[in-house]
Amino acid sequence: MLHVAGLTRSFGGVYAVRDVALDVADGETRGVIGPNGAGKSTLFNLISGHLPPERGRVELAGDRIDRLPPHRRAKRGVSIVFQSARIFRHMTVRENVMVGAHLRARSGFPSAVLRLPSHFAAERTIRALAEEALDRVGLLEWADSDAESLPLGQQRAMQVARAVCADPRLLLLDEPASGLRAQERERLARVIEELKSTGVTTMLIEHDVAFVSRLADRVTVMDLGRVIAAGAPDDVRSDPKVITAYLGSEEP
Amino acid sequence: MSISARHGARQARRGPAEPHAAYARPRTGLPSPVLGGIAATALATLLLPLVLDRGGLALYIDIALSACVVVGISLLMGFAGQVSLGQAVFFAIGGYTAAVLVLNDVPPLVGLLAAPVAAGLVALLLGVPLLRLHGHHLAFATIAVHLIFLVVVQQSDTLGGNVGLMGIPGFSVGGIDLADHRSIAFVSWGVLAVVVLVSHNVITSRPGRALRALATSETAAESAGIPVGRYKLTVFALSAAFAGLAGSVWAYYVGFLSPGMFPVSMSITFVVMAAVGGMGSIWGALFGTTAVKLIVSYLGMLGTAGGMPDYAPAVLSYAVYGLLLILILLFLPHGVVPALRDRIVRRWSAPPRTPLDTAGRDPGKAGLPPANGRP
Repeated sequence: MLHVAGLTRSFGGVYAVRDVALDVADGETRGVIGPNGAGKSTLFNLISGHLPPERGRVELAGDRIDRLPPHRRAKRGVSIVFQSARIFRHMTVRENVMVGAHLRARSGFPSAVLRLPSHFAAERTIRALAEEALDRVGLLEWADSDAESLPLGQQRAMQVARAVCADPRLLLLDEPASGLRAQERERLARVIEELKSTGVTTMLIEHDVAFVSRLADRVTVMDLGRVIAAGAPDDVRSDPKVITAYLGSEEP
Repeated sequence: MSISARHGARQARRGPAEPHAAYARPRTGLPSPVLGGIAATALATLLLPLVLDRGGLALYIDIALSACVVVGISLLMGFAGQVSLGQAVFFAIGGYTAAVLVLNDVPPLVGLLAAPVAAGLVALLLGVPLLRLHGHHLAFATIAVHLIFLVVVQQSDTLGGNVGLMGIPGFSVGGIDLADHRSIAFVSWGVLAVVVLVSHNVITSRPGRALRALATSETAAESAGIPVGRYKLTVFALSAAFAGLAGSVWAYYVGFLSPGMFPVSMSITFVVMAAVGGMGSIWGALFGTTAVKLIVSYLGMLGTAGGMPDYAPAVLSYAVYGLLLILILLFLPHGVVPALRDRIVRRWSAPPRTPLDTAGRDPGKAGLPPANGRP
């Protein structure tokens, strides 16, 4: 599904991502772990198109996408949940998630102004999709609340719903579980598992190794912008390079 | 447990559908007494031209046409997050388009329809380079556009140069003469109604949701697949079209056009009106325009009233006007209408909400502030 080769990006002479190569199989859930500053979020932004790469290529299902702007990549099925909360202000939870379903209906300015049937059809479709996604993450009862008024955990869940609502082929989740309580984490894990069962390819940045090990088929470990190890979660955990770079000597 | 069963259980726990309505209420907007008041005001405003004298009609027309421009600015600044200090240019383009057409024996109605198209097209062309800029840079660039426009008009023989275009025929539709002030007042009102309806329909739709989203986070909007640049350009063109439409009615009303009628201060005043009323709100735009126009008009009358000192007009129309604006923006930085609406919505929706939130629910979820929505 995703093929990344020689991907490089630096900030002020310091490499954030350097010659990263990785392949994610169709339907796979890939964990991405590494210490702070390892380049995980930068890698995601390079894949989603919010940062232009200096070198390298990104292919989605065989098509090169590394020169496309973010909205064109979204159209091809790349969805991202950012690490920082990006809430659309002055909008309800439902409306926030409805934005995620933007590409799943067609109705532009003319049909909106003239209230053509396509406008009403689009609104119905988008609303139903948004409510389905909200129900999936357990936020349906908050649909009419102002999005900004939600506690942080629910804001994250809402962003996951927004991304899921786009019906992505590749879902990038940047620390979706941080700041969540145990119960909310469990719910998120179930959502990710459910997505996996419907064939969505997912990449997941996460610090909680147990959480990643449970969900990921394979794990990519990054340090200082490079991939230092990749493999099944258990293999990676016992890799000496990983232990020194990331897990430290406390790893049992 | 299935999803629907879980949802059902939740419904049962929080009781019948009534509390749910309490939740939905802030979104649907204002309570019915307030809506009724607005409807009554609208009806009274509609009938006002029947009783107004000549001076009153002039102010009435001025308010309606300015409001068309300000609604566009409110969309542009409130939803697309773009500043334009050149909206008077599009007002003028609409006026000149209609004037040149009717002076060449084109029916006035065609001129009226061509004006927004012309203004919108110019905005599309200007928008491609301009909308790459942000904030202050964009504001300065739009002022520059305004100054360039004035120079171009002054040099153009077709547009009457510095002297201007004279003898623009009054408005008429299919031989029915609508040139008198009272008819133009109704035409202005009708034009404003179209502008408000179009804006409302845009805001409450798929593209409108996209605009509201990109106003907060362009990054997140892009990752939802929204072509941010194209949407901003469309709103810019739409706001220009509103201004152009109003400009054409203005041209029919006053009967002559010259570059001196469209100073940069006119563009700035439009933005002030939007800021006073509240950005991103149609009602705010209508309120802001009316308030500023009435204040300016009242201060003007006061300044020239008998017994006032010579310096009264200057003091009142600059100092007092400026002071009022500063006070409004200081104490109601989001504009008058959003502030009022929040206050009313909070008052109306608070009582039914409180018992619900304290009824043994998750403490982390209690105490939701009211929805701070925009229409």
